Amino acid sequence: MAELEIRDLTVRVDGTDILNGVTLGLEKGKTLALMGPNGSGKSTLAYAIAGHPSYEITGGSLLFKGEDITGWTPDERNRAGVFLAMQYPVEVPGVSLTNFLRTAVNARLEEDKPVREFMGDLRQAMADLDVDESFLQRSVNEGFSGGEKKRFEILQMAMLKPEIAVLDETDSGLDVDALRIVSEGIDKLRGPDLGVLVITHYTRILRYVDPDEVHVMLGGRIVASGGPELADELEEHGYEHYAVSA
Amino acid sequence: MTTLDTITEDVVLGRSSDAGEPAWLTDRRLAAYKTWLDQDWPNRKVDEYWRNTPFDRLIDVTLPLADDGDSAGVELPEGVVDRLDNPAATVTVVDGAVLDVRVADTWADRGLVVEPLRDAAAGPWAGVVSEHLGSLTTTGNGSGRDEDRTISANDAMWDAGVFVFVPAELEVTDPIGIQHYITRPGVHQPRLLAKTDHHAKATILVEHLGGDFPDVETTSRAKTAAVVNEVMEVIAKDSSQVELISLNEHGDDVAYLSLQKAGAHRDATVRHYSATIGGATVRLRPEVDLLGPGSAAFPSGIWFADEGQHFDVQPYMRHLAPRATSDVLYKGALQGKSRAVFRGNVYVAKNAVGTVTNENNRNLILTPGARCDSTPFLEIECADITAGHGSATGQIDARHLFYLQARGISREQALRLIVLGFFNQVLDHITVDAVAERTLAVIEREIDLADLDQVAVAANSLELED
Repeated sequence: MAELEIRDLTVRVDGTDILNGVTLGLEKGKTLALMGPNGSGKSTLAYAIAGHPSYEITGGSLLFKGEDITGWTPDERNRAGVFLAMQYPVEVPGVSLTNFLRTAVNARLEEDKPVREFMGDLRQAMADLDVDESFLQRSVNEGFSGGEKKRFEILQMAMLKPEIAVLDETDSGLDVDALRIVSEGIDKLRGPDLGVLVITHYTRILRYVDPDEVHVMLGGRIVASGGPELADELEEHGYEHYAVSA
Repeated sequence: MTTLDTITEDVVLGRSSDAGEPAWLTDRRLAAYKTWLDQDWPNRKVDEYWRNTPFDRLIDVTLPLADDGDSAGVELPEGVVDRLDNPAATVTVVDGAVLDVRVADTWADRGLVVEPLRDAAAGPWAGVVSEHLGSLTTTGNGSGRDEDRTISANDAMWDAGVFVFVPAELEVTDPIGIQHYITRPGVHQPRLLAKTDHHAKATILVEHLGGDFPDVETTSRAKTAAVVNEVMEVIAKDSSQVELISLNEHGDDVAYLSLQKAGAHRDATVRHYSATIGGATVRLRPEVDLLGPGSAAFPSGIWFADEGQHFDVQPYMRHLAPRATSDVLYKGALQGKSRAVFRGNVYVAKNAVGTVTNENNRNLILTPGARCDSTPFLEIECADITAGHGSATGQIDARHLFYLQARGISREQALRLIVLGFFNQVLDHITVDAVAERTLAVIEREIDLADLDQVAVAANSLELED
């Protein structure tokens, strides 16, 4: 069985059904792309996987390593190894980035990592993502540009070493240079111990992070699945074709 | 038995002569007594500054004035002053008696004076005391507005007074710590007079502790067994820098009224930090009169109110000279059935051209049942100024909580980080390590008291993007 197993998942937000039966499996070592137009339910799936309280799972199942995690809190899911890089990372005023990361890393490891070791890892991750050391003095996402926020999401992913990472529109709002840095950062983290779900509207990021599978979502359902070539088709023909058949 | 309500000329005279005070001070007290005689107690319907704190309901004027009985040998808990590294001076006040004054030799040798106010008034410093005592509180003599009866009561009957004098050009780099302990019920009326002469520098920390009298009956549920009615005056002469730190960790059975007022002369800087944590009722007035051109005031503070507490914080900045600066920043949290009031005032006089002023207050309502009223006022008579003000009261932001939880941080830890983060902007202003540590510790303690399952989270304003 895949590390993350989504079966016939239905999700409701504010009384509206957004996901209408999604089935998807993500194995470690694999990279999946989930593509779809705005409003197709991609981010809803991301939040549902991460356990956002406003996203009510009304049916189907969400299994991580064979365990049903639908009743788990967001922190329990992350500590177990499920990570969500958010489309719009939130500014948390007054909470220092260093303190936040250390708290998060210790929670994930369930032990106190020595400060020296932690700072060493952090400096390395920052260097890899071309993040200036002055960020250490700042509050979480406060005053960050869009590109800096996305870089910081991937930096957290590097520090927390998840087994499953969901990247929600990580490419949106990034210029070419920033996209390259972020993509290289993601690429560096890929390997046999990590499964990645790349959620994107455009194929741009897939030129840097090549997926093993591509799935197309529309109206809260997966309407097509295939290999990397599917992304190229989408690039050429857009989503309209599926809208008709869906 | 004399109460706040039954002061007589004989009592004023008797107290003053028993204490061996000089005639001029006795006269000063008698003059204040006459003012007191002509006044009524504050009334929320008449005095807008008392609108949110019903004096008649919360303050028991029939309590006896506490006398400075035998306080020696009373066991006193450790406070922040006890944890200062190398304080320049320490003062211990218990129930209206100045028990202990220590001034470090290095600072005493260079001219720092810290002594009981009565001694100063009767000794070589009489001239300084006479010139400045009451200069910021007495109508006509000072710069302030008409003061109410609580202030004339203190002017007439203050008990434990402390005098601090920093001579010209002396920069006292170690803090001066003053501890007030209350071990018995009744009315306590402490006083502080501090003067930093030109180009001098000082940090004065005033700490209030004690005041748990669970067995003492009160005349009504809202009233307390002890009232602390305090006045502080700080005279910051030209180009001096003074920081006043006020920590209130009174026990549950205290109503604390405190005017903490500074006059800033030419190019002087006054910093003020207050932490309001203890007591049942608190009405705190951090005030600065910006008397000289180029003077500056930076008042900041926090409060954390829990079940049954009523806090009313009223900073007042008066720009009375050109090119002065003030920046007011207060942050408060509330939980349980509690109430906080922020009434900020900035007055800019007609001649105060080039004024730069900013006034901000933020409040965090942690659990349902708490109420906060925040109003930053600006009263501007001069056109050529820069002024800003802001106020916001809200709950924990659901987006913040989810973001931290999505990084593996438990709900409880996340709430802790968010609340501490909320206060961080003010904590950054604290210059004394022991004060910062203590502030953090009391905030943590308040969070521990909170029922975290009851924490109200702001309606999810997350845009449901897709």
